[in-house]
Amino acid sequence: MIERALALLPRRVRVGAAPIVPERSVAGRTLLLLITIMSFLSAVTLGGVVLVQKSAIAWSSDVGREVTIQIRPVEGEVMESNLRTAVSLAQATPGVSSARALTLEESQKLLEPWLGAGLDLTAIEVPRLVVVQLADPIDADVEKLARDLEAVKGASLDTHAAWRQQLNTMAGTIVFSGLMILTLIGVATVLAIIFATRGAMATNREIVDVLHYIGASNRFIAGAFQGRFLSIGLQGGFLGAVAAVLFFMLIGTAAGNMMSNQASAQFGVLFGRFALGWDGMIFIILVVPVIAALTAVTSRHTVRRYLSQTS
Amino acid sequence: MIEFSDVGLRYGNGPEILKDLTFSIEPGSFHFLTGPSGAGKTSLLRLLLLSLKPSRGRVTMFDQDVSDLTQDRLLQMRRHIGIVFQEFRLLDHLTTYENVALPLRVLGQAESEYRPNVTELLEWVGLGERMDAPPSLLSGGEKQRAAIARAVIARPKVLLADEPTGNVDPELSSRLVHLFAELNRTLGTTIILATHELPLLDQFPYPRMLLSKGELVIHD
Repeated sequence: MIERALALLPRRVRVGAAPIVPERSVAGRTLLLLITIMSFLSAVTLGGVVLVQKSAIAWSSDVGREVTIQIRPVEGEVMESNLRTAVSLAQATPGVSSARALTLEESQKLLEPWLGAGLDLTAIEVPRLVVVQLADPIDADVEKLARDLEAVKGASLDTHAAWRQQLNTMAGTIVFSGLMILTLIGVATVLAIIFATRGAMATNREIVDVLHYIGASNRFIAGAFQGRFLSIGLQGGFLGAVAAVLFFMLIGTAAGNMMSNQASAQFGVLFGRFALGWDGMIFIILVVPVIAALTAVTSRHTVRRYLSQTS
Repeated sequence: MIEFSDVGLRYGNGPEILKDLTFSIEPGSFHFLTGPSGAGKTSLLRLLLLSLKPSRGRVTMFDQDVSDLTQDRLLQMRRHIGIVFQEFRLLDHLTTYENVALPLRVLGQAESEYRPNVTELLEWVGLGERMDAPPSLLSGGEKQRAAIARAVIARPKVLLADEPTGNVDPELSSRLVHLFAELNRTLGTTIILATHELPLLDQFPYPRMLLSKGELVIHD
């Protein structure tokens, strides 16, 4: 647009040389739209991967900060006494910040989804739980606690390792799938740029011939076309990245407004708050130069190949 | 400067378009290349422009055999050769000034460096007032003068012209050939001008190369 406006100025007023490849001769609008869409998809995929990764790390960290002691009813044993012993042993373990036995009411609430509300647990003997918070999951001597608990009959320790393993596997699968999708988007973008470049070369055959006749090297001609494609790549990458940022802002706001507070809280625990953070933003901004470079390199390679085939 | 020795040219497996061409061109000379349509004038010019390689024989340009030149060396040599086409082949999206300056841009010169030369040449060919106009607004004669200016702006040693008067009236044809003659005289550029307009040839005292069915029948 700016170049078109400058072209209207008299030569003596203009600064800099006019582009050798005219802006409108490269299938600009279609390619710009295509690169914008590809950049948007790349940025959204990348943002999604970052969100899942961050949520998984946060979840894994939360779960890792807690272990649970389960005490099953054993004939001849006093449950309340065993609970107190288990709490004492836990509190005496290095790296444990607190230990607390769940009350009967709390245990009842945990069983409500399976057994229904209004259940009187005093009539039946159910296992009881001690929730142990770790000050530092790495330094806490969980193995010592497990050994100490062997003295309490019916007691067992659950470190949630299986849960964490499953969570990490799920997050890893999502991240891997996201990266696969990104690769496919990249390949599709490269193919689209190759077709667009070959089309542009065919359309501009006259310019290529004239440049050859006046002694231009293939490198010079490729550079003239590359400049045009780099410009389209930069514009498309920028528009796609802006659209992706707006998309995350929009669904973040929508998720907060449309869901009930409870549902929103659960959703937030599972998938985060759609807050990308600075690291997510940096990934999305990085899409712009990556897409522009991909466009420039692909078009340059295609142009040089085309020229070596035709000259 | 240019030596052809038993040169033949064929496209693919087709018949020979040019046969047994043997001639030499001296530096600073002016030659008409003539013959009926299909005689092989354009093919010979493409050989001289180094955009084709002969099927047989030996072509020497600027004291070098062109048959085994590298791509880079070929490019260097092509920069010593200017070309003017019948259909002008100016780039429509550039102004007359930008079209003429194109060979210097290709050579990597900055605009501040080439601007005085381009302006001076455009004034010399009578396009001083038309330098900001795009080719679409130029007349046939103006387009051809712009194309000639573009061909000589980088001071080539040889200037090839393929039917440069084909799209203009006889009076303008004569004036254009006078312009080529002036370039030959003032800059010392070797000129090979292909035309099939015999009346035009009679107006100028330059030697003629007559091609017929791919063979050089007169070279005086």
